[in-house]
Amino acid sequence: MLTKKQKGINWLLTVGLLILSLFFLFPVVWMLANSFKPDAAITADMNTVAAFIPPAPGGSFFDNYLSILTNTNFLRYMVNTLFYAAILIVCGVVVNGLAGYALAKIHFPFRERWVLLILLLQIVPMETIITIHFLMIARVGLLNTVVGYILPMIVNPFNIFLFRQVFINLPDDVYEAAQLDFCSPLKYFFTMVLPMSKTVVATVSVFTFLNVWNDYLWPSLVFTSSNLLTAQIGLNSITSNENTTMGQTLAVITMVTIPVIIIYSLFSKQIVEGVTSTGSKEG
Amino acid sequence: MSFIEFKHINKKYANAERNSVTDFCLTIEEKEFIAFVGPSGCGKSTTLRMVAGFEEITSGDLYIDGKRVNEVAPKDRGIAMVFQNYALYPHMTVEKNIGYGLKNMKVPAEEIQKKVDWAIRILGLEEFRNRKPKNLSGGQRQRVALGRAIVKNQKLFLMDEPLSNLDAKLRVSMRNEISKLHRELGSTTIYVTHDQVEAMTMADRIVIMKDGVVQQAGRPMELYENPVNKFVAGFIGSPQMNFYPVTVKGNQIQFRDGNQMILPDEAAARLGGRQGEMIMGIRGEDIKLDEQNLKLYSQNRQQAVVENAEVMGNENNLYTTFGGSLTVARVSKYELKEIGDTIEFVFLPSRMHFFDKDTEERICV
Repeated sequence: MLTKKQKGINWLLTVGLLILSLFFLFPVVWMLANSFKPDAAITADMNTVAAFIPPAPGGSFFDNYLSILTNTNFLRYMVNTLFYAAILIVCGVVVNGLAGYALAKIHFPFRERWVLLILLLQIVPMETIITIHFLMIARVGLLNTVVGYILPMIVNPFNIFLFRQVFINLPDDVYEAAQLDFCSPLKYFFTMVLPMSKTVVATVSVFTFLNVWNDYLWPSLVFTSSNLLTAQIGLNSITSNENTTMGQTLAVITMVTIPVIIIYSLFSKQIVEGVTSTGSKEG
Repeated sequence: MSFIEFKHINKKYANAERNSVTDFCLTIEEKEFIAFVGPSGCGKSTTLRMVAGFEEITSGDLYIDGKRVNEVAPKDRGIAMVFQNYALYPHMTVEKNIGYGLKNMKVPAEEIQKKVDWAIRILGLEEFRNRKPKNLSGGQRQRVALGRAIVKNQKLFLMDEPLSNLDAKLRVSMRNEISKLHRELGSTTIYVTHDQVEAMTMADRIVIMKDGVVQQAGRPMELYENPVNKFVAGFIGSPQMNFYPVTVKGNQIQFRDGNQMILPDEAAARLGGRQGEMIMGIRGEDIKLDEQNLKLYSQNRQQAVVENAEVMGNENNLYTTFGGSLTVARVSKYELKEIGDTIEFVFLPSRMHFFDKDTEERICV
C-alpha cells in the first residue's frame, strides 16, 4: 500500500515525465504538421504555435505526399525495403535461430568459447566488417543484386545471442518427448522451439526490420541500379535534390518514420520481454 | 524369452569419479509392471533413460523384445514415456498433444481422431480437449501425458516419477488410474519413483537401487518380509523398520541401553549359532502391546515411555526410545496411548531380522 507521500511523488514524477516526453514529441509533431503544408505556409508559421498545427484537410492537403509518390520512385524504394526486410526476417530467424539453438542445446567441444567468440564479434565496428563484405560480394559478382545485399546481413551475432539465451531455458524433456513422437530435430525446431519462443522471434523480427529499414551504408555500397534502392537511399536522393520543396522533404521523412513508430508501438511489449528474458539465469 | 533384458549394464558420465549405474542385470517379462525405486541419485532414472535411449550405455547390453538396442534411436525402440514434468507441448491443445505422435507416424486422420477420442474418453479429458496445457491442473496435465503415451500402442511404457508433482490426494487417485490403465492395455511398464508406497502399491516387482547398484529385486511382499540388507529393510515400509545395535551372547540379546531379551528359538535358528555384535530390526507392526502377545511372550516383556503419538485413525504410531534407538510401534486405535504413558510390549520373534554389523547384509542361515 502506497503512503500519501509516495503517491504524491509518483504523481509529480508522472507529470514531469509527461512534460519531458513532449520535448521529444515536438519535432515529430512539427514534421507531421508541416508535411501537409505548402512551403509558403511552413515559412509563415515557422516561429508560431501554428507550426505544430496541421492545416485543415482540403484540396491540397496531400499534395506533398502525392507529388513524392507520383514524381519519384520512392514508393518502389519503400516496397523494395519491405521485401528485403521480409526475406531477412525469415532467413535471420531460421539461421540465427538454428545457431542459437545449437549453442544452447547441442553439446559440442568448446561450445562456451563459441558463445564468447560470437559475443566478441559485437565489439568489432560494423564499418570494419562492411569493407570485407563488400570485397567478398564484389569478388563473387553479386554487386547490384538482391542476393548480394541480403547474404551478409543474415547472420547477426546479437540475434544469435538473443536466441541462445531464450532457448537455453527450454525444457529438455519436451525435446525427448518429441523424439518419441517421431519428430525430427529440424521439425522440432520449426514446430516446437519457434512457437514456444514467440517473444524472441518477435523481438528479432522487429530488430531485423528496423535494421533493414534504417540501413543506409550497406545498400548504398551494394546497389547502383535505381530499381533496387532502399527507402533510406531514396530519402537521401530526394531530399538532396535542389527541386524538392521543404514540404515534400517533410512528407518523405514522415513516410520513412511512420513505419518505425508503428512497429515500435505494436511490438514494444515483445521487444522489452525479449531483451529482458535474455538476462534470466541459465537453466 | 524375456521382453527386456539388462546384461551387465554400466553407466559412467564423462568426468564422473564413479559409475552412476554399476553391473545392472535384470530381466523383465512381457506385461510386467516393474518399479525402480531408491533415494535420489541411486541411478534409477539413469537406467530408465538408458532404456529410452536418451543416455548412452557405457558398457553392457540391453535387449528389448529380443533385439539389442544399445545403438537404436529412441523413436525406434517401440517405447512411450511419461515424464516427471509432463513435457507437454505448450502451444498445442490437449487433442493435438495426444495426436501429435500419430500424425508424425503418418496414421490416417480418421484413425488419429478415433484414437485421440478413445484416449480422451478413458482419461476423462472430454471437457478439456481444446485447452492448452497452461490452462490445466497438474492432474489433468499428467493425464494428457498418459494419453500421449497410450495412443501410440507401444509395447513398453516408461514412467519417470510421473506423480511426484501432484498433491497427496491426487497421487492416490492417479496411482489407481495408472494401475487400471496398465491392466487394460497389457503393456510392459517400467516405473521410476522414489516413493516406496507407489512402488509397493502398483508394481508386480520392485527393483531397489542404491548408489547405482541393485540391492534387491522381487515382489513387493518379498522385499517387505525378507529384505536382503539393512538398506532395503529401512527403505521399504513406512514408518521404517526399527534398528537396534545388539550383542547376542548365549541365548541373550543385549541392547545398548542395558535392556536384555531372551533370544527366541525361531530367531536363534535363523542366526545359526552366530554370536556377537549385530543389528537387529523389527517393523512397527511387529511390536505388540496386546494382552494375548504379552502373555505369550511374557519372558520378553519390555517397557518404554511414549514420547510422541501420531494419530491417523485406523493405525497409529507410538514413538518411544528403547534399546538406545528411536522406536516406532504401530498400534490399532484400541491400543492408542497418551504421551507420557508407559507401555509394555513384546517383539514378535518370527518377525525379528538380524543384519551383519559391518556389511549390513541379512544374517540368515
